[in-house]
Amino acid sequence: MKALLPLLAALPLSGLLSLHPAAPAPKYAVEEIPAALREGAHAVLRADDEVVTVKSAGRLVHTVHRVITVLDAAGDDFGRHAVSYDALNTINYLRGAVYDANGRQLHQLRAAEIHDQGLGDAGGSFMTDVRMRYADLRQPQAPYTVEFDYEVVSDNTLFYPDWQPQGEEGLAVQAATLRVTTPTALPLRYQERQLPTGTAVAHTSAGSQETYAWQLANLPAVDEEEAAPPLADLTPAVVLAPGTFEVQGHKGSCTTWQGLGQWSYELNAGRDQLPPATTAKVAALVSGTADPRVRAQRVYEMLQGSTRYISVQLGLGGWQTFPASAVAGNGYGDCKALSNYTKALLAAAGVPSYVALVGSGTDRTDLHADFPSSQFDHAILCVPMAKGGHPDTLWLECTSQTEAFGYMGGFTGNRHALLLTPEGGKLVATPRYGAAENRRERRIDLFLDAVGGATATARTLRTGQEQDLYAQLLHGLGTVEQKKYVTDRLKLPTFTLTRFNLAAAPAGPLPGVVETLGLALPAFAMPSGKRVFINPNLLSRLPALPAQVGERQAALWMARASLHADTVRLHLPAGFRAETLPPAVQLSTAYGIYASQYTALPDGTVQYIRRLELKRGRMPRTAYAGYLDFRRKISSADKAQVVLLKTES
Amino acid sequence: MATSLLFRHLRRVLPVLFGVLLAAGAVCAQKQKGAPAPITFGQIDPPDLTAAPFAADSTAAAVVLCDYGRSYIDGHGDKLQVVFERVTRIKILTKAGFDEATVEMPLYHRDGNQEKVTNLRGCTYNLVNGVPEKTPLEASGTFLEKRTPTVNVQKFTLPNVRAGAVIEYAYTLTSDYLFNFQDWAFQRDIPVRWSEYRVSIPVFYKYKIIYQGTMPLTVDKPTIGSTSMRMDGAGGAIGSNGIYITSPTEEHQWVLRDVPAFRKEPYMTTADDYLARLDFQLAGEQWPNQPYTDLTDTWPKINARLLNDAAFGQQLDRGNFLKDQMVALAARYPDTAARTAAVREVVMDNVRYDGHNRYSSEASLRKAYDAHRGTSADVNLLLIAALRDAGIPADPVLLSTRDHGRISQEFPLLDKFNYVVALVPLANGKDLLVDATEPLLPCGMLPRRCLNQTGRLIPSKKNAEGRWVSLVPAQHEIYFQQATLTLDAAGTLAGQVREEFSGYASVPVRRELAELGDKKYLAALVQRHDGWAVPQLAVANRDSMAKPVGLSYAFSRAGGETAPAGTLYLSPLREFTDGDNPFRHDSRRFPVDLGVAQDETIMVTLHLPPGYELAEQPKNVVMELAGGGARFVYNVTANGQTVQLLSRLSLRETVYADSQYADLRELYRLMLTRQSEKLIIQKKAGG
Repeated sequence: MKALLPLLAALPLSGLLSLHPAAPAPKYAVEEIPAALREGAHAVLRADDEVVTVKSAGRLVHTVHRVITVLDAAGDDFGRHAVSYDALNTINYLRGAVYDANGRQLHQLRAAEIHDQGLGDAGGSFMTDVRMRYADLRQPQAPYTVEFDYEVVSDNTLFYPDWQPQGEEGLAVQAATLRVTTPTALPLRYQERQLPTGTAVAHTSAGSQETYAWQLANLPAVDEEEAAPPLADLTPAVVLAPGTFEVQGHKGSCTTWQGLGQWSYELNAGRDQLPPATTAKVAALVSGTADPRVRAQRVYEMLQGSTRYISVQLGLGGWQTFPASAVAGNGYGDCKALSNYTKALLAAAGVPSYVALVGSGTDRTDLHADFPSSQFDHAILCVPMAKGGHPDTLWLECTSQTEAFGYMGGFTGNRHALLLTPEGGKLVATPRYGAAENRRERRIDLFLDAVGGATATARTLRTGQEQDLYAQLLHGLGTVEQKKYVTDRLKLPTFTLTRFNLAAAPAGPLPGVVETLGLALPAFAMPSGKRVFINPNLLSRLPALPAQVGERQAALWMARASLHADTVRLHLPAGFRAETLPPAVQLSTAYGIYASQYTALPDGTVQYIRRLELKRGRMPRTAYAGYLDFRRKISSADKAQVVLLKTES
Repeated sequence: MATSLLFRHLRRVLPVLFGVLLAAGAVCAQKQKGAPAPITFGQIDPPDLTAAPFAADSTAAAVVLCDYGRSYIDGHGDKLQVVFERVTRIKILTKAGFDEATVEMPLYHRDGNQEKVTNLRGCTYNLVNGVPEKTPLEASGTFLEKRTPTVNVQKFTLPNVRAGAVIEYAYTLTSDYLFNFQDWAFQRDIPVRWSEYRVSIPVFYKYKIIYQGTMPLTVDKPTIGSTSMRMDGAGGAIGSNGIYITSPTEEHQWVLRDVPAFRKEPYMTTADDYLARLDFQLAGEQWPNQPYTDLTDTWPKINARLLNDAAFGQQLDRGNFLKDQMVALAARYPDTAARTAAVREVVMDNVRYDGHNRYSSEASLRKAYDAHRGTSADVNLLLIAALRDAGIPADPVLLSTRDHGRISQEFPLLDKFNYVVALVPLANGKDLLVDATEPLLPCGMLPRRCLNQTGRLIPSKKNAEGRWVSLVPAQHEIYFQQATLTLDAAGTLAGQVREEFSGYASVPVRRELAELGDKKYLAALVQRHDGWAVPQLAVANRDSMAKPVGLSYAFSRAGGETAPAGTLYLSPLREFTDGDNPFRHDSRRFPVDLGVAQDETIMVTLHLPPGYELAEQPKNVVMELAGGGARFVYNVTANGQTVQLLSRLSLRETVYADSQYADLRELYRLMLTRQSEKLIIQKKAGG
């Protein structure tokens, strides 16, 4: 072999290594990937063969064989894989190998190379038994192919695995299969989503076993597009759920929302006993008022003043709440524990309420109401009330010490939640927040001096979802950090904040935050000869979207309705007058309404009024071009300039 | 390793100790001497529970009332341990301060040696109707997470924490790592009213103690004391009944009071470089009737040790699985620089940096090579070994990355380093610093994380002197834009643009092009420019890392500013900048550490519409920072129908003092003002 070396020296070293006599036969050569799948892809899923075997109502086994070719460095994240486990999920094995572009094996994953670690801060929990095994097979040179094999035994059959091979952008799918085997006595429930036409389930029976199989092939890579629903709502998926299930001896049925809610309700029943001292405290707190809303408000204030959120997720504790007495004792809990505790406090105040399960997240799309299954990661509290004979349900977020009474916001609003009642589960809508609620009202006075400098005061009131972030700044950060946050994000050239204040708006039906800024803007609008050009839209310019690359694939999804109203008063320096004002703009579209208008006022100031109302909704993909155009016109109108002329020389 | 070394000494001297220092019977170890402790767990000062204002920083979410730590050395079995006791008391001022009530302590353990927390206590005090209410920390509020095979994390969270509460916790941390005497930070991200650290060190250990900080210490007081350490073991010199070793001690007390909150600013290295803190380094041992053993490292000692180290010097001789290939490269590339680049390519093609920074190889180079991945040490030690096999006398240079901390040239401390690169001497007497962790960088440029002032050369020749090597890069971050623009009488602008990104500017653009692909990159580029239409983009030198990345494209933009006919207003340079001042904040406490010098040039040739001319000649500007560390040049030249504009910013320094911050910010402001200046273009008289 030595004698060969001078000839081989120019070859990559991996080529040399593969001359080893024991090298396995090549597989997954990159040249076997159809050209159409490489288009726009950073990686190609060569195979994703998943097998779900339901052993009993309380156990299933999930076996995965996954092969991905990483085409370029931007696809590198696919070169590693993590499998999580916990008290109810055990990893039977995790194996891996990596191949070069020609399909020759470069390396086989050794046990010592698998990292086993706690989730740490990434898990977001103070205490959790969730851990992960993690293998990294990323290579110095792309393309390369990684192969992972693993098997997880789950004793938590509340959750069945989902199958969505194309879970990320830039990933094409060459072939993927799912096979589910279940005892006939435990019929499978499944929902097919976004499957390509012609894809059908293959159902076979053998003895007392039912087998269902799906396959997908040749799916080109998809991009995450602007103003689009999440990728999970766009690529093919088969979602599985149990009919009957059993977790740690707790049996339940998932075929209806009623049944799923029943299981959850019973799992947590009897955990709402308060210590006598707490009951007495509540009684004292609500004495003197019979109004359930006032009582609820006092209880909520007590909750916010005496508890905080600490996440503890151990075993069944991921679904079963800590007793209310534990929260009364240590003053903390997770979402289930704090909701359950508040329910107990309200009961002590004579106000009935229900814990509700919800999928949380800013502007998250709604759950699939037609497929009862555990689609939740959060608990809130629902207090049924009536006003003037009409239902006027109150919703409480029990994990926040600062959230306004009865407010859900973008985290849990605009969607459905599962109410847990003694009669079982009921799907109900959480509060809706539309343009009337999500408002931003801004008033600016902009004072120009004769040499191009300016100062400004800006007062902004935000309500509803528009204030969600600012409420977090207000309550979560000190003034210095608040100011730093705002300074880092103002879209202005050189400026100094001469005044900064965030304050809660006076109490109303919706929470609000008032931001007051004082700005020094040196060289804001330098005179050009006799003229000065000024864009009065100091803080509310809305940028255009990037041009569409290729054909639009996804539906148009506008997640949030809002109303922005701006009034800017431009105070001119002595010796200047407004020469040209931009024309008024009025745009009325299916996406929203935009209007801007400039007026020279008798006192010599110039007033600019801007109003933008954006709608919430989903439209077909063909509507996207119109939306792009709407945003482009807004962006252009937002940059219009007032021209001032020097009147004396 | 630390303890076994210590114990070797102990065994050696024990017979002597028996005669001299051993005390019989029960002696209370660690008698508290000197000043009374500033704080005792469980004894709260009632006014702290009231709503009285706290500390100078009125915006803080919480304030540390007192943080008191004490370290000493004691026996544990047949070993010695560092014992660290701490009591911390914090006033929670607002709900935003609740995070202070949850504490995480990473604890290291390996090969039987460990750090361990015992005697963990905690308590929360709330004033309820004027009466202090006390809730102790229960076991249910503590959790030990096995985060990695060598790190456990002890967590705890205090109960009943409300705005206005005082929380308090205390624990003892014992450590088998004698070389890692507990350091102490006086400063943290909330204000501290009183921070005190005391140490008691038996005279047979000498530690070098380094204070970092600009605030003068409130108390800085050394005294003499004594200690009695209990040792017991299974027979041997100690015997099964245990012994006490009594020794005089050097005691030290440090206090810093009213310490402001530390706040991170942009363009900084790690926060540890700026915090007020104490650092301990074992310097020597003085055993009775023994000569003083100087454990202070010297660079010759470190060099010798490193070169013998199986994880460092010995690895450099084990790269010869590459020998044949390297010999072939040597024949192909007679030029040192070219050969170095070729060797680096081979290393990069075969081993990938896994993101972990080390200066020595934990496994072996061969293992890293087989797995095709490794730490910075695996990659760059392999590079050095390969360079040597290729006949290039490369040597390692140790450095500390920007997120790891500054190196002091005064103290030779190996554990302050966390990275290694190769130094290749060139024929012209210059050195080439080479790193093989970042394929997007050309040979001879270090990744930005390495640009931390200075590194230390470890020469391979026996008894050769090492030296400090400047890491300040010769290459800058260079942006160059050249545009030829044509304006028509309707204000429509059309242009041909060439952009070049060289030096450190080339890395992010190469990465973005790879991630987005050309089409999306172009869409993002167009989005950054108002009203531009760009049909296509040409990319040059995409994969030739040694050359600048070039972008060329043509664009057009419909009419701009409306104004009375006959006059056009245009800010040609504004089309090519983002108009942002990177120094947003009006004040600064710490130096601006950019790591790399910067150079930004925009050259525009503007053709005016026929019959038009510049109405006014803008003022040319040259502005320089005092001392010449930065400079901005703005130049407009009109020549008939053609106007030439030049904007050039040079930041020549890599670090600017905080005192220069205001001037630097002003320089940017002036540049932005000039770049957005409008040219007044009007019809020639009689035109």
